[in-house]
Amino acid sequence: MIEVRGVTRRFGGFVALDDISFDVRPGEIVALLGPNGAGKTTASRIIAGILAPTTGDAVVDGVSVREDPTAVRARCGFVTDTPALYDRMPLRDYLAFFGRLYDVRSPAARAAELAEQLGLTGVAGQRLGAFSRGMRQKVAIARALIHDPPVLLLDEPASALDPEMAQTLRAFIVSLRARERSILLTTHDLDEAQRIADRVVVVYRGRVLRTGATSEIRATGRPTYVVTFTGDAGRARGALGAAGVDAEPANGANGCSALRFATDDPANTNAGVLRALLDAGVGVVTLSAEERSLEDAYLEILREAKA
Amino acid sequence: MKWALIAWREIRWEVFFDRASLLRTGIFVVIPLFFVLSDRDPGRGAGGDLRIVALALQSVFFPALSGVALIASTFVAEKENGTLVPLLAAPIQDRDIVLGKLVGMLVPVMAACCFTLAAAYALAGYRYGAERVTRILTPELVYALVVLALLFVITAGSVTMIVAARVRSSRAAQQLAGLIIALSAALFLGLGFAAIQIGQGWALVAVGVGLVAFDAAALEIAQRMWQRGEVLARA
Repeated sequence: MIEVRGVTRRFGGFVALDDISFDVRPGEIVALLGPNGAGKTTASRIIAGILAPTTGDAVVDGVSVREDPTAVRARCGFVTDTPALYDRMPLRDYLAFFGRLYDVRSPAARAAELAEQLGLTGVAGQRLGAFSRGMRQKVAIARALIHDPPVLLLDEPASALDPEMAQTLRAFIVSLRARERSILLTTHDLDEAQRIADRVVVVYRGRVLRTGATSEIRATGRPTYVVTFTGDAGRARGALGAAGVDAEPANGANGCSALRFATDDPANTNAGVLRALLDAGVGVVTLSAEERSLEDAYLEILREAKA
Repeated sequence: MKWALIAWREIRWEVFFDRASLLRTGIFVVIPLFFVLSDRDPGRGAGGDLRIVALALQSVFFPALSGVALIASTFVAEKENGTLVPLLAAPIQDRDIVLGKLVGMLVPVMAACCFTLAAAYALAGYRYGAERVTRILTPELVYALVVLALLFVITAGSVTMIVAARVRSSRAAQQLAGLIIALSAALFLGLGFAAIQIGQGWALVAVGVGLVAFDAAALEIAQRMWQRGEVLARA
């Protein structure tokens, strides 16, 4: 549904994007991750047909942004990080206005339908300037969905929302995936990305560092394990050190201490760890693989890129 | 016809709900009418006639000057507030956005100009005698004044668009646009005065053609400056 092919974008002498390529398939949520200034917003704007690429192309629902950016814009719903709205307009007029811009057949009816879906029916006649941040974000999403686009580009949609509102929004985005929409989610909220993204694209300084399924990205690097035990933590660490395993303290629970270690050969190392601890008289409670968060994996990818 | 939607939105929601803008326009409408009411005797002869023409010129130009702030808010504030991006994301051409905003600004400003001129005409007729005013302010001259005001507002709009595409804040835009527009107002008034002195003939046509050419050039430059890539790069 979205194919980004070797896109480069320059602003004068500054290269915002440097030959990036990735795709988003129908019914898929892809998280576009990267630090500030990595080129995420520029990439979103190019895909949305707002900005032209300097070289390369992006194809949205079979239409090239180079050949027909207006048709691409008609196929995209775009939500910016700050919900910038026309504050003097009431909600229903605002949505109907954008409905007409997008050639929606019955803009007023569609506006009412979206207001109901997003729980904004009671405020349809109120001016947008009086809306809270969360409500404004909902309005921005309703505006992006006014023409029922096959592609959604969401730039930090849940930023500055309270947890309850953010969860409601996430559930709504996931419901759109079920309707075969392609969603590109640009975010700094790695927890949010981990929860809802099927795949991840990591960009840094205008280049794609890594793409892959969220689970694959999380598995990047050496696998880590956590052993929990009762008894003296210093003796346990000394025993592991003598066995050639470099361990660091981890968070224990239920009165147990814990150590974390990384290994490329868990079959042999883990057996050696158990043997060393038991020989030292440490009461091992559990030894388990540690599930890495997307945040840890992302930070490691960035560390490698900066090194 | 997407530009008409944008223009209508501007007029309905931004102009008529901006109390500061309405108040400013109202003041600029009242001031020239006050001049007409306060000028008890413009005097007889060519000097007095010219004074009546000058009052008419003030009546049509004062509301046009008030349009500067309106133009600045139309273009720069939208960029500053971030509301331009959703508009650029819609399936519309850049020229629809530019035209819609320009028309949305032109219509209320020109309505204020025409209203003030009509009110000044009626008041002048009451003060100085309807026969004299009808003789001096001929339909051709009234028409010329309205066209002159229209050309000025288009120039002001074009200049503000050029400035708006380059600056980041409405304060900077208003300062720059105010300076440039004051110069263009002086130029227009000078040309208008020259036109009145010339009275008729090819020289007057040349002045008119010069004004239109100046406007066309300003609009073309503004249109080229207002490219989405350029505007977004400086947003």
